[in-house]
Amino acid sequence: MAMKKFINDPNDLTAELLEGYCSAYKNKVKLESGKLVVRATPKSQDKVAIVTLGGAGHEPALSGFVGEGMLDISVVGDIFAAPGPPKVLEALKMANRPAGILFVVLNHAGDVMSANMAMEMAEKEGINVKMILTHEDIAPGADAPVEDRRGLVGCVPLYKVAGAAAEAGKSLDEVYEIAKKFNDNMATLAVALKPATHPSNGEEIFELADDEMEIGMGQHGEAGTGRSPMKTADETAEIMVTQLAQAVKAKSGDKVLVWLNGAGATTLMELFIVYRRVEQVLAEKGIEVARADIDEYLTVQEMGGFQMFVAKMDDELLGYWDATCDTPYMTVR
Amino acid sequence: MTQTLGTKEFSEMAVAAAGKIRTNVEVLTQLDCATGDGDHGISMVRAVDAMVQAVKDGSDSDLKTLLHSIGWNVMCIDGGSTGPLLGSLFMGMSEGVEGDRLDNQQVAAMFDAGLAKMLKQSKAGVGDKTMMDALIPAVEVIKAAAEGSGDISEIMAKAAGAATDGAEATTQMQAKFGRARNLGERSIGHGDPGATSISYIFQGFAEALK
Repeated sequence: MAMKKFINDPNDLTAELLEGYCSAYKNKVKLESGKLVVRATPKSQDKVAIVTLGGAGHEPALSGFVGEGMLDISVVGDIFAAPGPPKVLEALKMANRPAGILFVVLNHAGDVMSANMAMEMAEKEGINVKMILTHEDIAPGADAPVEDRRGLVGCVPLYKVAGAAAEAGKSLDEVYEIAKKFNDNMATLAVALKPATHPSNGEEIFELADDEMEIGMGQHGEAGTGRSPMKTADETAEIMVTQLAQAVKAKSGDKVLVWLNGAGATTLMELFIVYRRVEQVLAEKGIEVARADIDEYLTVQEMGGFQMFVAKMDDELLGYWDATCDTPYMTVR
Repeated sequence: MTQTLGTKEFSEMAVAAAGKIRTNVEVLTQLDCATGDGDHGISMVRAVDAMVQAVKDGSDSDLKTLLHSIGWNVMCIDGGSTGPLLGSLFMGMSEGVEGDRLDNQQVAAMFDAGLAKMLKQSKAGVGDKTMMDALIPAVEVIKAAAEGSGDISEIMAKAAGAATDGAEATTQMQAKFGRARNLGERSIGHGDPGATSISYIFQGFAEALK
């Protein structure tokens, strides 16, 4: 099938992208055992390790955030597909230490299944690990059951907060509680304009008419709830940020972290235009944007659209947010 | 005519099942593109490649060990939920095997244990538009035939029929699990790729024993 992508053998996509990534950033990361991206300089054993898992094809997520102040190990699957439980277990064994491991899992069927089986095996081996599930998608409603709410780009800021707490020498229980507080106060909504091509088979992963957009679409083209004719940047921003602010129960006087994450084909120009209206709407509600970031962190190939992320922040979370980190795709000095 | 089942017969079944999946990979890809992200065909080919490798490495193993290594190998593929689900089916089957030559009842116990293990990973049942729509009816047929004296070839042929009917019925269903769930009513009209894969596997099992 004709596919306009710079690739070689489709079977080698993940192996080749990991080889290229780890070579380019060899001062920060290295590849172990084929599919484990680990820090070039390991964190000391008396600090909690942060491990995550997920499919490839979303670069720079998830492995782009391995490094000081964020992740210790990213277990990579194949394109859009979770790694198997044996690989995850191998990572947990590698990260095992008296201080323990915080294992961050995004709510997607395959990821959760692999993670649960690996956790079962890890417990039998006596590994000290606690799992936290991100499920901040509010497309099915902020009060929908957890199993309906997918883990979207929110995992990345959560790595940052949990990673900073771990670097600060917090215990596993403390790191878990801090991560949980952030997890309980974050929400994401995605909007899609144009489909992505699955790089293994050249198929478009969803269909959307030329004049349509869809709010709530997942990062693999999973359908959302609101298909509508194309709207302006301002209209889109208003719909999304209003729902997100409501979901995190942000009220006048509250501080929030806002992220706009491009899906791959949507330009920064568009995202800046959207953000402008986001901040205006929040200001009208008396909500202060304490920190904001607009970039491509978790992409879906050449999909058009973006994810809007809002988290309600307190001084403790802001402190961890501002702590130093040094990874290939996020650096705070 | 197959009276009892051991490593040799199951190895042939596994190889035939793998062939069936490879032949139909495009069908699986198309089905998954309609309701998922299109990688089910690729994942299944990797799963059956892993299965065939375990068969090649395990020609001297007893059936219990062979099934366990098939399960572990399948789980090692990085195929989203396909690896853990199919892997747990074979690992569960391994747990359900007693002895080297299985009769009707022991074959039924083996598949029943496989289904039970898979149900620990997925809460899906018949009607939810998943692998279970093909697997549960197939295992029911095998269990129902366990008391009789019918030969295992015939039982597997009936199981393949039940799995195929079950997979075809998913076309009319609305997905309740996995990525297709988010499509809601839009999932109706497309067969479930996972159920279709299970039906190919059982068709392969049956053809090997013909």
